[in-house]
Amino acid sequence: MSPARRLALALAWLGLLLVAGWWIGQHLQVSGDLRKFMPSARTPEQKLLIDELGEGPGSRLLLLALSGDDPETLAGQSTALVEALAGDEHFTLVANGAASAGEAMLEAIPERLRPYRYLLTPTLDRHAFDAAWLADQLDARLQDLGSPAAALIEPLLPADPTLEVLALAESWQPEHAPQQLHDVWFDRAGEKALLAVQTTAAGFDPGGQQVAVGIIERAFAQARGDSSAQLTMTGPGAFSVEVGGRTQREASFIGTLDGLVFALLLLIAYRSWKAPLLGALPLASGGLAGLGAVALGFDGVHGITIAFGFTLIGVAQDYPIHLISHQRPGLSPWDNARALWPTLGTGVVATCIAYLTFVVSGVEGLKQLAVFTIAGLGVAALTTRFLLPGLIDTAENGGKLYDAAASPAMAWLWTKFASWPRLGVVAGLGLALASVAVAGFAPGSFWQNDLSRLTPVPEHLLALDGELRGELGAPDVRYLIVLQADDAELALQASERLQPVLQRLRADGRVRSFDLASRYLPSAATQRARQMRLPDAPTLRTALEDALVDSPFRSDVFEPFLADVATARQAPPLTAADLAGTPLAARIDGLLLRGDHQATALVALSGLGDPVAVAHAIEPFGAQLLDLKQASESLVAEYRVRLLWALALAALLLVATVWVALRDFRRVLRVLAPMALTTLLMLAVLRGLGVELNLFHLVALILAAGLGLDYGLFFDHAGDDRDSQLRALHAIVVCSLATLLVFALLATSSIPVLQAIGSTVAMGVLFNFVLALLIVRQTAVDRPPAPSSRDLARSRL
Amino acid sequence: MWVAGVLLTGAWQPVAATEPAARQATPTPTSSTAVSADWIIGKLAQPVPMRTAFVELRESRMLKNPLRLSGEYRRPDEDVLVREVRAPYAETTTIRGGAATIERSGKPPRTFSLSRAPELAGLQASFGALLSGDRAALSEYYTTRSGGTRERWTLTLTPRVATTPPSTASTSATLKARTGPGSGLRDITLYGQGAELRCIETRMAGDPEPQRTLLASAAHAAGRVDDPARLAALCHVGVSAR
Repeated sequence: MSPARRLALALAWLGLLLVAGWWIGQHLQVSGDLRKFMPSARTPEQKLLIDELGEGPGSRLLLLALSGDDPETLAGQSTALVEALAGDEHFTLVANGAASAGEAMLEAIPERLRPYRYLLTPTLDRHAFDAAWLADQLDARLQDLGSPAAALIEPLLPADPTLEVLALAESWQPEHAPQQLHDVWFDRAGEKALLAVQTTAAGFDPGGQQVAVGIIERAFAQARGDSSAQLTMTGPGAFSVEVGGRTQREASFIGTLDGLVFALLLLIAYRSWKAPLLGALPLASGGLAGLGAVALGFDGVHGITIAFGFTLIGVAQDYPIHLISHQRPGLSPWDNARALWPTLGTGVVATCIAYLTFVVSGVEGLKQLAVFTIAGLGVAALTTRFLLPGLIDTAENGGKLYDAAASPAMAWLWTKFASWPRLGVVAGLGLALASVAVAGFAPGSFWQNDLSRLTPVPEHLLALDGELRGELGAPDVRYLIVLQADDAELALQASERLQPVLQRLRADGRVRSFDLASRYLPSAATQRARQMRLPDAPTLRTALEDALVDSPFRSDVFEPFLADVATARQAPPLTAADLAGTPLAARIDGLLLRGDHQATALVALSGLGDPVAVAHAIEPFGAQLLDLKQASESLVAEYRVRLLWALALAALLLVATVWVALRDFRRVLRVLAPMALTTLLMLAVLRGLGVELNLFHLVALILAAGLGLDYGLFFDHAGDDRDSQLRALHAIVVCSLATLLVFALLATSSIPVLQAIGSTVAMGVLFNFVLALLIVRQTAVDRPPAPSSRDLARSRL
Repeated sequence: MWVAGVLLTGAWQPVAATEPAARQATPTPTSSTAVSADWIIGKLAQPVPMRTAFVELRESRMLKNPLRLSGEYRRPDEDVLVREVRAPYAETTTIRGGAATIERSGKPPRTFSLSRAPELAGLQASFGALLSGDRAALSEYYTTRSGGTRERWTLTLTPRVATTPPSTASTSATLKARTGPGSGLRDITLYGQGAELRCIETRMAGDPEPQRTLLASAAHAAGRVDDPARLAALCHVGVSAR
């Protein structure tokens, strides 16, 4: 096969990968849904979080601020935004204060439901519809007719002399609406026009949030024209988009840089411009195979699983390097691959068996991770073994080969390393003990369960969010009161019993405001009680006639009122289902979750000052203050515990696999000691620096252990032959330099999650390399010509 | 800007445009000349504080007889307007910063936003222009037509567009749905004498009779009159013709 043919084949392989990548891109559903990543829920809080809520109603709210122009212009833009977004299916609520939300909702309530007003307002709880009260109401209406609001009120009066409709609209208003300038909400300083937008997509759905944020941004660009106004968006959805975008931009920038560094390194190491291409093919194949396997085997994959997976298969980057470094004159690449296979295969099989333990963890995200890494590593190893040799240039097949053993630089390095002392058992044990001590006794908490800390929202946006949340009275995203009952009616009754408590808490300043479903839809029991208090037709007619004596009102204009009351008296109580299709339904559905055998009423809180006091006050009413943050953190902790158990099992299986491959106690110990010591050392360094470990550190540790295993195996494979040692050293130096550079670049990231992975792996590479040199490397015997490494491998396995 | 808040409905009159007592006493020397809108608008611009009595007749199909209100309008400050009804009941409405607060005896005060009458957004702005004598700003919303002499002039303001400003279009649909068709403002006619604004007629589409507010000398002349025809005459005819 000619060099040109080999190149063509390599490019064809690359082309195939691109096609496969495109196909997978079409079929893989990446979701940010925590449920795809977390273990199944156990505690009631976790169940609620995972099974019912996903997240609280506050998490679907986007808070918008328009600033940077004069208030009148901003108000116009605010109105234009509402007009653009109001009909859009991606939003369930778009409010800027204009046409005060309550009235707008009232307009959209169908005529047939209007008589229900008497059952929905608390008026009948306080007043009887008798002559005295009606006369009092008519006096007030006369004043209304003489007031600036006359034109608004007059048309309502025949059917509604008590203005129940307005009472209803008022009860639907947000409790703490911001001030209004030019008819729309503004902050207290009068500089920012404020809007509240609720997305249809859940807060944990970054894709849906991204679409929503995109629509808002386009609508604003349209509304802004050439004004100098600016749009700021906060809220969980906006943050996930902002942070996700930033993480992605930085990761892809660093990734590109990494690719260049990797290519440059291989170019220098092998003096061949084809080396980078050959070096990248198995890893790329493995990554795509992993993604493809997950796409075939699961409905959707969590973004974090993919991030973990790509980190873990990073070890496959080393496979082609080992192959190319071990290539020497007179040896066909196929024989070279066959000779390396026992060593390479041991590493791959041991690692894959270790990842198999994730499958039994019972966590969906870990199962996906196992499938991803096993498929990825397997394919990367198999392509290195069975495809890559056909593409390698040697002197025999018309190409040019770089022999590491002939390199003076390598020889110099080898001599340097040869003078290093060996690390004995006692020193190793001492180091291990010291590491354990540091890791165990370092102050501060060991684990960090708050995943959001890994992708933090910029401080100024958080401050703005707090400010806007306060101005708009938007609900808290962390705390939420939960009432569970057998059905919706019982849940509504429970909410009603809780209402006085909440009012007291608000009066005491422990919460600023609250919102619950029974505010919009009283329980059927309450509605029936109000029906009982409505007078029958003759009684009401008599009372009204009495009230109209000596009144300036005409006596024959209130027939529609009598008809509405008669309807209200007979109507079956209004249920949530009756409201389907009205704007009220969106609010109720967010606050009253109706399952087949259970219903959950939620109370959204804002301005929560003292969670403990609130939790205590509501407890006797069967209500529970849910801390969403704590619930999700406890899930993360559970994920980690399962992961650690899986890892413990994995470690045993790994030792067993290496044992089966090497069958020599001392060699097994030598091969495994560097990775074990490295793991302990890394823990000690991280903990010593006060780093709280998170899941990403854990994944980085696993990757480092995998790398360490390979270094150990290949140093061991080299035996005591100088040339073999030189080639192994070359391979491991290139591998570890490549990995070190790639992850050290990642460590410079400003985003903690990338930094955590980068710094941990980079440190692991360094420790593994040094410890492998100190422990595994055997004293070389200089006896050219060397026996082929193939013979060596055969003699050992 | 003066919030203009003046009008929640067409019946809410720009009374602040009336004369301070001192100027009422000084009739304009140049008489019997035809007036221009510019001349009237120049005369109507007033400094604060000011106050003036009013008499207003409100007709409603809900009532046996028209409702006759009397009291006082005050403009204590550039951006505050107070309407105090003294008879037949006591009620004080204060308009400030885009919101109206209504106080009634024995009831807690109620505040609501002027934005609940979005059609009047233009009116609010235009009366600010009227009171500050800003002809250009006024012309943005109305065509003006003047008539009569300096002793007895009329100024008719007709909205330039029958509909509301575009920014409030969506909300006005809401309001229309509630108040029925034809509830929009047709025109406003101001009646005056020299620098004194005596009466305002607000004509809504679909209403046969305008709502009238008698101010200053006309309000005093109205005394205890409650016959609609006589009040209309007082509104239209100058003091000298009384």
